[in-house]
Amino acid sequence: MRIQLVAATALVSLTAASVAFAGLPKTKALAIMHERHEGMEKIGDTNKLLRREIISSSPFMPAIQSGAATIAGLSVRANGWFPKGTGPELGKTGAKPEIWQKPQDFTAKLRSFQAAAQAFNAAARSGDMNAIKARYADLGGSCKACHDSYRAEMHH
Amino acid sequence: MRLVHWLLAALIPFSWWSVKNHHTDWHIWSGITILTLLIFRLLWGFVGSSTARWADFVRGPRAVLGYLRGGWRGTGHTPLGAISVVAMFGAVAVQVGLGLVAEDEDGLYTGPLAGLVSIDTSDAARDIHEQWFYVILGLVVLHLAAILFYRLRGQGLTWPMITGRARAAPGTTAMRPGKWWVALICLAVALAISRWVVAGAPPFSPS
Repeated sequence: MRIQLVAATALVSLTAASVAFAGLPKTKALAIMHERHEGMEKIGDTNKLLRREIISSSPFMPAIQSGAATIAGLSVRANGWFPKGTGPELGKTGAKPEIWQKPQDFTAKLRSFQAAAQAFNAAARSGDMNAIKARYADLGGSCKACHDSYRAEMHH
Repeated sequence: MRLVHWLLAALIPFSWWSVKNHHTDWHIWSGITILTLLIFRLLWGFVGSSTARWADFVRGPRAVLGYLRGGWRGTGHTPLGAISVVAMFGAVAVQVGLGLVAEDEDGLYTGPLAGLVSIDTSDAARDIHEQWFYVILGLVVLHLAAILFYRLRGQGLTWPMITGRARAAPGTTAMRPGKWWVALICLAVALAISRWVVAGAPPFSPS
């Protein structure tokens, strides 16, 4: 599982890097932006469901486990969501230009989100509610850390 | 009473600033504090000083027209000002109510009562909460414009609102101040209700 993840991550990163290097055709860039938007929205919606389960006095464990797996999966997909040329210069997006101006910091924050998502997924599978709550708080912190710097307000 | 006013005057801009600058946690606590102030003001309007009582200063349309024709003598809110007080109180109360059940776009923050409603309702409450701010902003602008209008007509309202002292027109009855221990009870009740809301309003909180 872990090896598959790492392989998938590497593959997606490579693809993203090569596409960015070659310069992105507009239709391709717009398709990525769309996928990014849908993916981020899915993460947010899943998070809302998770939050309600986790603060509930009788959480429904299968719902937490399925939500955690969804976010962990999407977090890996996020590797391919931010190639150069998919910023606000191309179309409506919540992605700020700073993503491509400070790529090292952005990538570090993306990695920390991915690590938090994997850790939360592991906690969910263990079924230990205390660990789930702690890792869930870490996950929320990693979302916020990145969004505070790199996500613009967007109304759709 | 005046303290409530100035706290609101500080907390409403603070609420706006904090949520625009990634301090949603401060924003929520600011909203809870505003809730406490509103409950206090509501109660004080029944048992507080004469000029604070709803029954004493909220008048009908005839009194408002009479005031506009210059036939009103009294202390405290004018009949026209009373409409402004009720409108601003109501608008802020609606805003707090929406905030209590709202959640942010990412689902990272929820109002303390968001668990009582569905996710869709909570998201809708956030959207209205964002737009409703402009209603409050409009009322505040009107409020400030009115103060400026009275100033230009030679009646300063700001200083009395700070010191509590105003020159009464001859022939008016002076205000009857409220009792300090009644204020303390109102504050205690307001704090207790706010704490209950923060706790998710048991026993209605989600099981």
